[in-house]
Amino acid sequence: MNDREQLLSEEQLDFLTEMMNIGAGNAATALSQMLPSQVNIKIPAVHIAPIIQVSSILGDPSLPVTCVRMGMVGDVSGTMFFVVPEEHKVKLAHLIQRAMPGPENKGTDIDLSVLAEIGNIVAGVYLTAVHDFCKLNVYHTVPALAIDMIQSLLDEALVALSRQVQAAILIENEFIVEKERIRAFLLVIPSIESVKILVNSIGQARMAYREG
Amino acid sequence: MQNKLEVGMGKGVVTGAPHIISSLGLGSCVVVTVYDSERRIGGLAHIMLPDSNSLNGLRPPYQCADTAIAALLNGLRSRGAVPQAVVAKIAGGARMFPSSVDLSPAIGEHNIISIKHILSEERIPLIGEDTGGHYGRNVEFYLDSGKLVVKAIGREEREI
Repeated sequence: MNDREQLLSEEQLDFLTEMMNIGAGNAATALSQMLPSQVNIKIPAVHIAPIIQVSSILGDPSLPVTCVRMGMVGDVSGTMFFVVPEEHKVKLAHLIQRAMPGPENKGTDIDLSVLAEIGNIVAGVYLTAVHDFCKLNVYHTVPALAIDMIQSLLDEALVALSRQVQAAILIENEFIVEKERIRAFLLVIPSIESVKILVNSIGQARMAYREG
Repeated sequence: MQNKLEVGMGKGVVTGAPHIISSLGLGSCVVVTVYDSERRIGGLAHIMLPDSNSLNGLRPPYQCADTAIAALLNGLRSRGAVPQAVVAKIAGGARMFPSSVDLSPAIGEHNIISIKHILSEERIPLIGEDTGGHYGRNVEFYLDSGKLVVKAIGREEREI
């Protein structure tokens, strides 16, 4: 499984993108309620990439990223990461500060916990979309947050996840808030046992969706 | 002229002065360097896992601590290094998400314990260490001097 063709067909990838687009719409609605301004979201770009390439897709690997890690449990197991590159984190933190003014919120702690919550929301709406289309029950565990180089943040999960994982699903989001474009990534790394379940379910759901 | 080599996760290399070997984005992974200062020959491995015996099937040698250290020492010997002159340094082995409530084992700590055990069995002195904590590291290994420079975001550069 070293390229995307072997994991999902083009049609299945299009269907996955469509599914994720519905998730993205729900994410925009949820974030609009949380932030002071209307949040719009572009159709997410969905990449299936070998894990080795993920850090280069995310930008300069020596720069820090803010990363929320969540485990996936249920019909599909694995790990999810919500990743915000540094420059976009600054924009997002600024919006959060405006949403929650007050001297006690000037520090960085509040920003970080809100960022963890945003990661939580985004992961939740995507998993809901997976549930609605694929009839898979997948839940995410309590988020943990860290800021560092992406490869350092990922390596423990890559090693822990059955030690054979090769493919990752990278969902690239662009939120538009007051003309600011904020990019954030959701990286889904299914365990090796879960890849087949996920791929089969996506294939079946696509057929059912087309017939229905 | 100095040549820079970059060693990725699960990879390793043995070479001589005046090369510089770098390895980037260490989290729970651990870099081991071995060096014969008289002959200025050394090697670096970017190790992911503590032990190859717990795994099914053959793995590339530099992924696991036991096979990686064996590969480094073989490489040194074939280049004429003297085993008694070889010293080691290690860096990495962090736990990147300290607040995490998950129950997965801390692979970084397992890696460090395993590597130290193997080095002592091979009677290779561990003369420098920058391990643990909750932050990622980049390292540069200088084959002309044997120094290992450790860099981390928001921290002073450290030479071990």
